[in-house]
Amino acid sequence: MTENNFWLKKIEINVSEAEKRTGRNAMNMQETYTAYLIETRSVEHTDGQSVLTDSLWRRYSEFELLRNYLLVYYPHIVVPPLPEKRAEFVWHKLSADNMDPDFVERRRIGLENFLLRVASHPILCRDKIFYLFLTQEGNWKETVNETGFQLKADSRLKALNATFRVKNPDKRFTELKHYSDELQSVISHLLRVRARVADRLYGVYKVHGNYGRVFSEWSAIEKEMGDGLQSAGHHMDVYASSIDDILEDEEHYADQLKEYLFYAEALRAVCRKHELMQYDLEMAAQDLASKKQQCEELATGTVRTFSLKGMTTKLFGQETPEQREARIKVLEEQISEGEQQLKSKNLEGREFVKNAWADIERFKEQKNHDLKEALISYAVMQISMCKKGIQVWTNAKECFSKM
Amino acid sequence: MSGGPPKGLPSTGPHSLLDMPHPLAGSSSEEAVGGDSTPSPDLLMARSFGDKDLILPNGGTPAGTSSPASSSSLLNRLQLDDDIDGETRDLFVTVDDPKKHVCTMETYITYRITTKSTRVEFDLPEYSVRRRYQDFDWLRNKLEESQPTHLIPPLPEKFVVKGVVDRFSEEFVETRRKALDKFLKRITDHPVLSFNEHFNVFLTAKDLNAYKKQGMALLTRVGESVKHVTGGYKLRSRPLEFAAVGDYLDTFALKLGTIDRIAQRIIKEEIEYLVELREYGPVYSTWSALEGELTEPLEGVSACIGNCSTALEELTDDMTEDFLPVLREYILYSDSMKSVLKKRDQVQAEYEAKLEAVALRKEDRPKVPADVERCQDRMECFNADLKADMERWQNNKRQDFRQLLMGMADKNIQYYEKCLMAWESIIPLLQEKQEAK
Repeated sequence: MTENNFWLKKIEINVSEAEKRTGRNAMNMQETYTAYLIETRSVEHTDGQSVLTDSLWRRYSEFELLRNYLLVYYPHIVVPPLPEKRAEFVWHKLSADNMDPDFVERRRIGLENFLLRVASHPILCRDKIFYLFLTQEGNWKETVNETGFQLKADSRLKALNATFRVKNPDKRFTELKHYSDELQSVISHLLRVRARVADRLYGVYKVHGNYGRVFSEWSAIEKEMGDGLQSAGHHMDVYASSIDDILEDEEHYADQLKEYLFYAEALRAVCRKHELMQYDLEMAAQDLASKKQQCEELATGTVRTFSLKGMTTKLFGQETPEQREARIKVLEEQISEGEQQLKSKNLEGREFVKNAWADIERFKEQKNHDLKEALISYAVMQISMCKKGIQVWTNAKECFSKM
Repeated sequence: MSGGPPKGLPSTGPHSLLDMPHPLAGSSSEEAVGGDSTPSPDLLMARSFGDKDLILPNGGTPAGTSSPASSSSLLNRLQLDDDIDGETRDLFVTVDDPKKHVCTMETYITYRITTKSTRVEFDLPEYSVRRRYQDFDWLRNKLEESQPTHLIPPLPEKFVVKGVVDRFSEEFVETRRKALDKFLKRITDHPVLSFNEHFNVFLTAKDLNAYKKQGMALLTRVGESVKHVTGGYKLRSRPLEFAAVGDYLDTFALKLGTIDRIAQRIIKEEIEYLVELREYGPVYSTWSALEGELTEPLEGVSACIGNCSTALEELTDDMTEDFLPVLREYILYSDSMKSVLKKRDQVQAEYEAKLEAVALRKEDRPKVPADVERCQDRMECFNADLKADMERWQNNKRQDFRQLLMGMADKNIQYYEKCLMAWESIIPLLQEKQEAK
């Protein structure tokens, strides 16, 4: 539930259903996709009852569009990530197929989580496009595109590995970018190994199922030992089949880690934005300085800086004083403009740093809280698994004792 | 350690063997030997192992001298005393203290055999000798030769097939020690085998090699007398108790083999799981180095996974050292049983062949020839001995497997309890509210 300018009330958001659909894509070819039902309810202050106010269907690509829009218009915000587009870090039993019901189910939960994150963010929740995403089914895509956000997007942000030599970045952002890289690396590693661990654990449990069969066969030729063996075998079957639920629960933990893997990416994007802004600022300052120098040289007649005009003058003869005056004037205008721009860029930069850092602090709190909760729930899962194991083997032991 | 005294057949009665009146001294209805005929002196001689020439270290009559008739009727007597338990036991044997010996020609391990006994067959109340695997192998062969109608317990494998195993590693030596201890305890528990003179010498002689050299020159007559019957003669019918056993043993050995394969597979999977866990835990540590508030929780999880890994390693070691060898031993045991049953079949076949030959001669003889009678006696003694051993084997098998499987369950329970403790102990750490920096 969250407060929101548009609704003026607390709202609840649910992604309650997923449905397979077929339609025609942009190239008029038939395609299959999944659509998700988003239901929004507003909560009455007085009695806490919720009323369904909006209900519409969206597909994954529309979520992506929303997020890309938010990235462009809120570059200083660590924008919540979407659940993964394709199943990754999969252990062998899980399907990597996007249409697989388990994957769809986990994605439904992930999309709901995304919307809740956005709705509970103090700044993002006030965005009009977000509001329309939840309320206006038809024409929403056109509305988003009309904002022209794609044009505003800085394509340089996509070039992840391009380096920009920034002389004076805010050190906090440099450190943070480094941290986000490390975090991505370590969580990826963790998820990969966890998938292998799950695979092996699955194997251990399932092989025990063979005991069930052989104990049953053996009990057929025994007299007094028969009953004990037979019932112990049954417990071995129970043991073997218990792993399915255990590992399904663990997928939820993996999803929580994945969210922060993708969050690290969003964090990095903010740091990158700062880097680019700082770079632009420094370039602008450099350009201004060079223009000022040019102007000075023209005024005093000394040529220290290289200029094309200077070269042509040398080659084709001196320019007239009138021509020189004209050039000086142009430069002075440019310098004046440049100084304005530099001032506003500086201001922008400082605003960005201030706002971004505020959101980063908010994000850090959220991250620490969420990950701690995730670790606790993981420990609880392990405890439950151990208890089940003790139960089954204790039962089997009792059967053996009756042999 | 063997699984306690077997039910129904204690290792010895309250009286020493020599105190009991010889069952053949008078006609006794308890005799398992059929018919009214007294066994001829020849039969008795055949049973005396041909060892009368031997000077035995403990002097006196060879402890194992007994006619087959006496041993089986003795068993009958003992079988009535069902409530005799280990407290009336008068022979205790233990195998421990393995030591490595490095000589110029070879390196080998010896084990200390400690014997405590109040039996008259032993001069001293206590003995302590050192023996190596070769000696056990010799003992087993001697027992098979001298007690062909009895089931001799198996020894652990002589050669290590899997070349990777180190013959001198602690684990291998300990596994072997346990198996050798079990071997001797099973003999100790046997009412006939435990009185065997070779067994006695094995337990007591200072220089076993000297004794071995003496024995090698002599051939046992019993071994010779069990001739191979030429193929073509089938048994008329097996006695009831032996009829089903062959099939049972075949299926039993098959199932044990399957269980062995499953157990090995589980251990293999667990080891692979362990390998992954050993990589998994440290990643949390790496992560914790990046963080501030999350440092302790992540480090805690890493340590926890480390503890679970250690517990898992202990489980796989235990299963490899304790579970698999005992399983394999029983496969060997049922193989031994099968070969003894085959021998019994041969004795029966021999008897029936002789009987048939007599019938074909169409001579008008009122009395059955002596050698046919001997054959019949031999067969019936064999049947009695083997029947008793089979019952003992079944009882032991039940106890041993109950213990083995309960042990397996126990080890798994302990593993999960260790893991449970580790995870429960970090919950408070994870829930701790950290002070704001």
